[in-house]
Amino acid sequence: MDPWKLPISSAIQRKRLLSQSYTSHASASPSDLACADRASDVIYLLLIEPQVITSKFSVFSFLFVIGAQNAWDILLEEESMTRITTSCAELDKILGGGISCKEVTEIGGVPGIGKTQLGIQLAVNVQIPSYYGGLGGKAIYIDTEGSFMVERVLQIAEACTEDMTEYGRFLGKSIQARQVEMGPKDFLENIYYFRVCSYTEQIGLENYLDKFISEHRDVKIVVIDSVAFQFRQDFDDLAQRTRVLSAMALKLMKLAKKFSLAVVLLNQVTTKVIESSFQLALALGDSWSHSCTNRLILYWNGEERYAYIDKSPSLRSASAPYSVTSRGIRNSSSNS
Amino acid sequence: MAPENLLRRPQPAEKLTLGCPVMDRCLAGGIPCESITEIVAESGSGKTQLCLQLALLAQLPPSLGGLSASSIYLHSEFPFPTRRLHQLAAQFHAHHLQDLIATGRDQRYDPMDGILVQSIHTADQLLDIMPQTESFLQNSQTQFPVRLIVIDSIAALFRSDFDNTSIDLMKRSSLFFKISGKLKSLASRFRLAVVVTNQVVDYVGDGMNGLKIGNLEELYSSGRRVCPALGLAWSNCVNSRLFLSREEDEKANNCSVERSEEDGGFGSRTTRRWLHLVFAPHLAPSSCEFVIRREGISGVDR
Repeated sequence: MDPWKLPISSAIQRKRLLSQSYTSHASASPSDLACADRASDVIYLLLIEPQVITSKFSVFSFLFVIGAQNAWDILLEEESMTRITTSCAELDKILGGGISCKEVTEIGGVPGIGKTQLGIQLAVNVQIPSYYGGLGGKAIYIDTEGSFMVERVLQIAEACTEDMTEYGRFLGKSIQARQVEMGPKDFLENIYYFRVCSYTEQIGLENYLDKFISEHRDVKIVVIDSVAFQFRQDFDDLAQRTRVLSAMALKLMKLAKKFSLAVVLLNQVTTKVIESSFQLALALGDSWSHSCTNRLILYWNGEERYAYIDKSPSLRSASAPYSVTSRGIRNSSSNS
Repeated sequence: MAPENLLRRPQPAEKLTLGCPVMDRCLAGGIPCESITEIVAESGSGKTQLCLQLALLAQLPPSLGGLSASSIYLHSEFPFPTRRLHQLAAQFHAHHLQDLIATGRDQRYDPMDGILVQSIHTADQLLDIMPQTESFLQNSQTQFPVRLIVIDSIAALFRSDFDNTSIDLMKRSSLFFKISGKLKSLASRFRLAVVVTNQVVDYVGDGMNGLKIGNLEELYSSGRRVCPALGLAWSNCVNSRLFLSREEDEKANNCSVERSEEDGGFGSRTTRRWLHLVFAPHLAPSSCEFVIRREGISGVDR
């Protein structure tokens, strides 16, 4: 069966098949077909001459389209996907266990609500060893504002080691009385800290992250605190800013998928004028708000801090109270 | 700057003491370096006093909580309090002479020599002197490099030039981020402490004025509710915020009747002053009471 007699919809597709030298179906091996530019080309060939292909079908199904997965595999993968705990049970509950790896999560709120605290807590919690239920990974912390205070990180890390010892004692024999080998200083060592002072540095660093993470495969979270600060200066062309930010968001998403790590972006709030009344909105504009997979808004409700899931492909919208203590992010102390 | 060079080994930030152990306890050591600390207060609350005091304390050696450094004092409110600085410097010199000599300074050293004062009138002027400041910091060969920059006050720079239209507010916001970005970059590069003072505006009950930012639901001073000037945008530009408040107490107080500076001591009115921590990335919420005396500001343990 010659390609030009196939009922392919347009002449262009026919030409393409010919250009790839498929003069007859017999000459097209499964691997060749798998490398075809468009799946539609391959489907047509299958429909027309099924009996010839069936003998090669088993091999063919795997090579169908490079990079594709069937939904069943994706589901199994998602269920085994690890999450990073936030150390607050209520918050973990609404997040389905914690911040998910392989996804970009944006966290926004007013100054003083605890964004940096949450970022540091996640950078510490990602290091919890697997025998305590953690990921045993390392963290990258990109600081654009200068809010990363070493004494606070050591304080949170110390509380984490105390909690782990407590947990180990609770589990008793099953952990074989394993001593917690990590001290607060070790936690600090495992956070790769980058200080960025301009938006060009920020963009350059994000482009460099791919190379860096390929060399440091144990990194499991990237925290950017905050993603907005350097971009809120005067940009002559706001459209350019949007383009730059979209490219950045895309890169971060690819990074998250490629290395199976969590990307957490901390964002600021700004006031937006809607119909001559003021409302709070996250910084960087409307198009940026489409770039992140998940969004968590932190806000005050009277004297309490709350987190609200504003956007998520799989979790339902819910609020949970949390508190910032000397030990880090913890459950809210009130009973209500 | 190559991306690989941005990787740092984070060090604990050095702290600049406020001159009194009570207030230092409130701030876990003092004003941190490599970040911007904002002091918000209504006029007459002690902002400038505190800033002058910090500029002097920076000259102390690190063992006493100083930075062994000089300071740059940018002032936008006139006149500059030269007489008060003279008074504080004389007290400081008398009190700390031995410590200053230990750092290598001369017997006849005048603490006022360690404070470089510059007046600024507009926000654009502030931006314009940044490159100058940067090259000064880079090329300075002195034994006592600048480690503290004080801007007193940032609000005065923005009060007159901008209208209340949304375009002007946006222009103003982008100036905030430009200035703050430049200051933070200098602070990070040269390990400086940056202290900025801000004024307050009355709370009027509309717009975003009453938004809760930080630990305090409402800020009260002199019996009325206030909000920091310059709005939400500026709040995003600073790392830490301190609020100084004052209240007039009408009733007579037997333990300590402090003559308030304004009225010369009529009746038995007392002015009580507090320092509140509104937000900081490394501190739990705290407050402490303080008094302003001839020697300067010091905390009170009540």
